[in-house]
Amino acid sequence: MELIINVFLSILGIYFAIGFLFGLYFIIKGATKIDPLMQDTKKKVRFLLFPGVIATWPFLIGKLFKPKTV
Amino acid sequence: MGLDYQLVLWNKHKKTYDKIIVFSMLLYVILFAIVTLAFNSETSAETLIIRAFGSLAIIMLHIILIIGPLARLNTNFLPILYNRRHLGVSMFIAALIHGGFSIFQFHALGDTNPVYSIFTSNMDYGSLTNFPFQVLGFLALLILFVMASTSHDFFLGNLSAKVWKRLHMMVYFAYALIIAHVFLGAFQQETSLFTIGILIIGFIAVASLHLITAFKERKIDTTKANEKEGWLEVCDISEIEEDRAKIFTVENERVAVFKYDGKLSAIHNVCKHQGGPLGEGKIIDGCITCPWHGYQYLPNNGQSPPPFTEKVATYELKLDGKTVYINPKAFDEGTEVKPCKY
Repeated sequence: MELIINVFLSILGIYFAIGFLFGLYFIIKGATKIDPLMQDTKKKVRFLLFPGVIATWPFLIGKLFKPKTV
Repeated sequence: MGLDYQLVLWNKHKKTYDKIIVFSMLLYVILFAIVTLAFNSETSAETLIIRAFGSLAIIMLHIILIIGPLARLNTNFLPILYNRRHLGVSMFIAALIHGGFSIFQFHALGDTNPVYSIFTSNMDYGSLTNFPFQVLGFLALLILFVMASTSHDFFLGNLSAKVWKRLHMMVYFAYALIIAHVFLGAFQQETSLFTIGILIIGFIAVASLHLITAFKERKIDTTKANEKEGWLEVCDISEIEEDRAKIFTVENERVAVFKYDGKLSAIHNVCKHQGGPLGEGKIIDGCITCPWHGYQYLPNNGQSPPPFTEKVATYELKLDGKTVYINPKAFDEGTEVKPCKY
């Protein structure tokens, strides 16, 4: 059981650590690349979105590499 | 609705709603403290906070879970549904205070990582009466965190409505974890009859209201309509309230038939914002207004008023005497359809 707990908490820790780094990138630069509406959005909104970006980074990271459609 | 993102989408009604939420939460915590101290004056501040915010979060979660079906059964509950998102975030804050203080009091004062301690301080996972119930609360809190932190239109737009909806449907899993958390905890700790009572009554209310709504909606979806020359009979015009709609299923799609200003218009029932039931909303300022978050559409073309760009499909209606008929073939989203006058 301890092994399962260790694996689970390690995965959780890594997930949130990557999410935190991605969140920092989102605040500094990535927000406008993910969503063009962020260009006209006040900077403080990015800080509000920060926890959600940490939680959902696997869904958002893909948007960075998708070709832009007009 | 917006062309950029706002920190919080507030209007006069939502501000009033939020003030009521904050006032009610504070009132509950104060009353809880007074009653607890009156019965047990030796209760520590940490225990008081843990119990007050824990029970508050459970009550709020029940309200959140029942207002959806309640609003479907009775439109008088729609104003509570209108700002459910803020209620959800407030509930998460209450749960976070409960969880944060619990972790601090029971797991943060040793030399073990507090999160690791939650999972390993009691390893009796095979036991029902001694199960480490705090693990269940922690997992529920994680789910509530994901939901609260993604309660912004940015995530709805960028995760896609489908993914967003799936993430937020996890509230039922969190609810199950919370029920198990409280009941298993009751075997091991001094849990009040008040909390257990709320949970039992709440579970019965949540389950029964969801079942009643499901049966009602199934009836809408399975009702066979009379057909007349390719048109389907919806209802008698008197069955639709002024500025409201009747929901009707056409070729497995729900359609909202609205009655307003001596006219009838029909649009697809699903709001483009978050899948809200447009037919449960009403006409405000000439626009069909979604009961969930106030997104608006013009009844004659299913388009959001400029500069907004959301569009839903429209349908053609006709009247034969006082009976409303609908052409089951949907027009493309945003297509102008002349309203049917009566």
